[in-house]
Amino acid sequence: MTNSMSNVGRINTLMGKNFSLIDAKIIDQYQVSYVLKKDDIHRALSVLKSNGFRQLSYLSCVDWPNDHEIEMVYIVMNWDEALHIQLHARIDRDNPVMDSILPIYPGAKYYEREAHEFFGVAFPGNPDYDKQLILEGWDDIPPMRKDFDPRAYSDKKFTKRDPKENFEVTDKTSKRPRQERREERANNLRTGGKK
Amino acid sequence: MSKYRFESIFNSWRHLKYVLKKPITIPFNHIFTKKNAGYLHDNSIIKTKDKLISHPRVAADNMRGFHTNDWEECIGCGTCEDICPTEAITMVERMDVKEQAGAHQARPVIDYGRCCFCALCVDTCTTSSLKMSKEYVYADSDPDEFVIMPEALWLGEQVEDGWVKDETSDLLDLKRVEMEHADIDDRKQSFVEIVRGYSKEYAKQEAARCVECNVCTSSCPVQMHIPQYIKAIWEDDIEGGLRQIYETNPLPGVCGRVCTHNCETSCAIAVRGEAIAIRWLKRYIIDSAPTDMYNAIINEPVSEVIDASVAIVGAGPAGLGAAYYLKVMGYKVDVYEEMPLAGGVMRYGIPAYRLPDEAIDKDIDFIKSIGVNIHTNTRVGKDITYDQLETDYDAIFLGTGFFKPRGLNIKGSDHEDVIGAMEFLPKVRDFERGKLSLSDIDVKESIVVIGGGDVAFDVARSATRLQMLKYGKSDVKLTSLENEDALPASMDEYIEGGEEGIEFHCGNGPQEIMQKNGQVTGLRLWECLCIFDTEGKFNPEFDQDCEKIIEGKQVYIAIGQSPDYEYIPNQLKEKITFERGKIKADEFGQVEGVEKLFVGGDILRGPDLISGVADGHRSAQGIDAFLYENAKKEKVSKNIKEMRLYAKENTPEFTPKQKGIK
Repeated sequence: MTNSMSNVGRINTLMGKNFSLIDAKIIDQYQVSYVLKKDDIHRALSVLKSNGFRQLSYLSCVDWPNDHEIEMVYIVMNWDEALHIQLHARIDRDNPVMDSILPIYPGAKYYEREAHEFFGVAFPGNPDYDKQLILEGWDDIPPMRKDFDPRAYSDKKFTKRDPKENFEVTDKTSKRPRQERREERANNLRTGGKK
Repeated sequence: MSKYRFESIFNSWRHLKYVLKKPITIPFNHIFTKKNAGYLHDNSIIKTKDKLISHPRVAADNMRGFHTNDWEECIGCGTCEDICPTEAITMVERMDVKEQAGAHQARPVIDYGRCCFCALCVDTCTTSSLKMSKEYVYADSDPDEFVIMPEALWLGEQVEDGWVKDETSDLLDLKRVEMEHADIDDRKQSFVEIVRGYSKEYAKQEAARCVECNVCTSSCPVQMHIPQYIKAIWEDDIEGGLRQIYETNPLPGVCGRVCTHNCETSCAIAVRGEAIAIRWLKRYIIDSAPTDMYNAIINEPVSEVIDASVAIVGAGPAGLGAAYYLKVMGYKVDVYEEMPLAGGVMRYGIPAYRLPDEAIDKDIDFIKSIGVNIHTNTRVGKDITYDQLETDYDAIFLGTGFFKPRGLNIKGSDHEDVIGAMEFLPKVRDFERGKLSLSDIDVKESIVVIGGGDVAFDVARSATRLQMLKYGKSDVKLTSLENEDALPASMDEYIEGGEEGIEFHCGNGPQEIMQKNGQVTGLRLWECLCIFDTEGKFNPEFDQDCEKIIEGKQVYIAIGQSPDYEYIPNQLKEKITFERGKIKADEFGQVEGVEKLFVGGDILRGPDLISGVADGHRSAQGIDAFLYENAKKEKVSKNIKEMRLYAKENTPEFTPKQKGIK
């Protein structure tokens, strides 16, 4: 096995020479992270694959609602060098489309279906990307989007049971009513008692 | 070309090789717990006994299975309910749980029809009582059976822990934002305030640690709106915070510095980490509120809308507390104070390095500004008679405190160099104000302080400062009956006092003040074996063989203070019941047998400043109940009506500590 730090150096040169990197970060001797432009991703993956990174370990997204962007994350691995490479690229959040990487890594098929289901990203080139995978009959915005409100969804989908009748042990000395009144008053003081 | 490779039709014969192999299917009873095995048994047509045998396979480590909650540890804070993304958790009141400081009588109930097993509730649990087990199988035909109140045992069985939070997943910030203190060498030389106070950034950071669980509130003698004003800091709403604070405490600047902070002792974060710096956050609001913001608290002049007047004797915490709330409720209030400055123990007891005059001024100026008359330099019994008050006012409140030094009756204690704490401390404050010069206070080069409470530390640390100014070096020894770990004084005092060079001789009882040629030379100590006898009464026992003599040219006695009732006329004294120096009165401070007389503070309950404010507030409520019915009332605005309502509504209840709950 070759020295792992020199592996990192080799990949760094390779990537730096071929692509305009927005950011590059060496996380440790086994992990390197690059931020690329969206259009460079496919070329970068091909280059990496032909350089021994045969395995696509992971494909997922990060939602950045304030930037109106979704960050795509691809992690590829080289079994001979024990090295993981993360590729990051941001795409538009309102119309999230990312060409499929199926021709490069056929194993991305299910990852892309999952990413579509949880983040709403479309993957043209993957014939099945919009087929249901995990969430049966999902009828809301993709649940991993940060503006998805799990509480509201639970309220909509599941009845709320009142556990009080079965579990509550209360009496006249209950402190709850006073506590609630006090809290309401204190909160009213915040806006000057008038709204 | 076909999508599938052509294969021999005999290929399926290969499955035959499995015919004689043992199946790898896992039987149900290897998965199910006893209850579920029983359920399966009950619901199957063929009932065989082996269905009842259950020895479930253990799930993986970190499995996020069904919850367990140890009720002994759980404090009902409800943080799990707040964080639950699916609203699966509901806090249900359980009055059968014993009431205690720093806990709600409530426990979580989980609806497993909603729970998504995300474990956020475990990661945020303040006590780590809520855990997730490795149990993941549960079945029932009744949907209501999926609403479960977790207990230490899962379905009555001890089960293995699954998901356990670690440092990375713990969502609470257990470390307090550090407070800047004055440098030791600098502070020893002067009476400059030690605690510098939080900046806005630091205050917000500290406020962000609060989980708003509200368990602290019941431990505060005045039940301040603690989580709410901390939230106001976080949202940078100083005015809102100030209004919330004044709802329950008219001396916030003082309390923000020297309160005994029972709230912090019962803080939920303190179960595993460092309590939220509630006291300093309160101080931050007061310090950063400009004087003109105070106008917003009471946005209408409080005129005397009720034709009844109250005299208050003593402008200490209790007296000012009563005065403030009586005024807010619409009464005419006059406060009589013997000393030249209002504030009582705040002005003449606590040293300036803990509580500077400016902080007291800010609080008292506001109380004055709403129309409370404070007559200083007026001692009842000398400048005005008690009988005069009785004829002029409809009710009288006494909050005269414990201001007389309590003596120590040992050999040699009758000497001019044996000094009581309350003789010494007022002089120190007057020195800081420039009313006395250094030569007016007789502090010798080496001294011994007897006592282990906050007052003893006030004496020791003030004397250190005076010695530094006078001699350039300090020599202060402190001795107490209690050992270092059981000192009644706060931990800060012990640590800071030690930093300032105080020598501790804790766990010893004073026996004799040594003298030579008429001069005090030291103190003879015997080791203290125990302070209380088997009945819990104060009755210290000493070991004569463990004797030591510590040297000092002066001995200061700070073993408690006593009341001064000289101003009360004798015929009134006969009607009052005194119990160990305190006056007997009901919950609202109304003295038995003397209808129009109310008392509060040290002479009723004690032991600290904020309990005095609480007594004052309760007495204001009691006085209102006593006077309101028969007094003439003016028509009032909606605002004043509301203020009156909430002054009554916020009347403090007794804290668990005051009720004697440990």
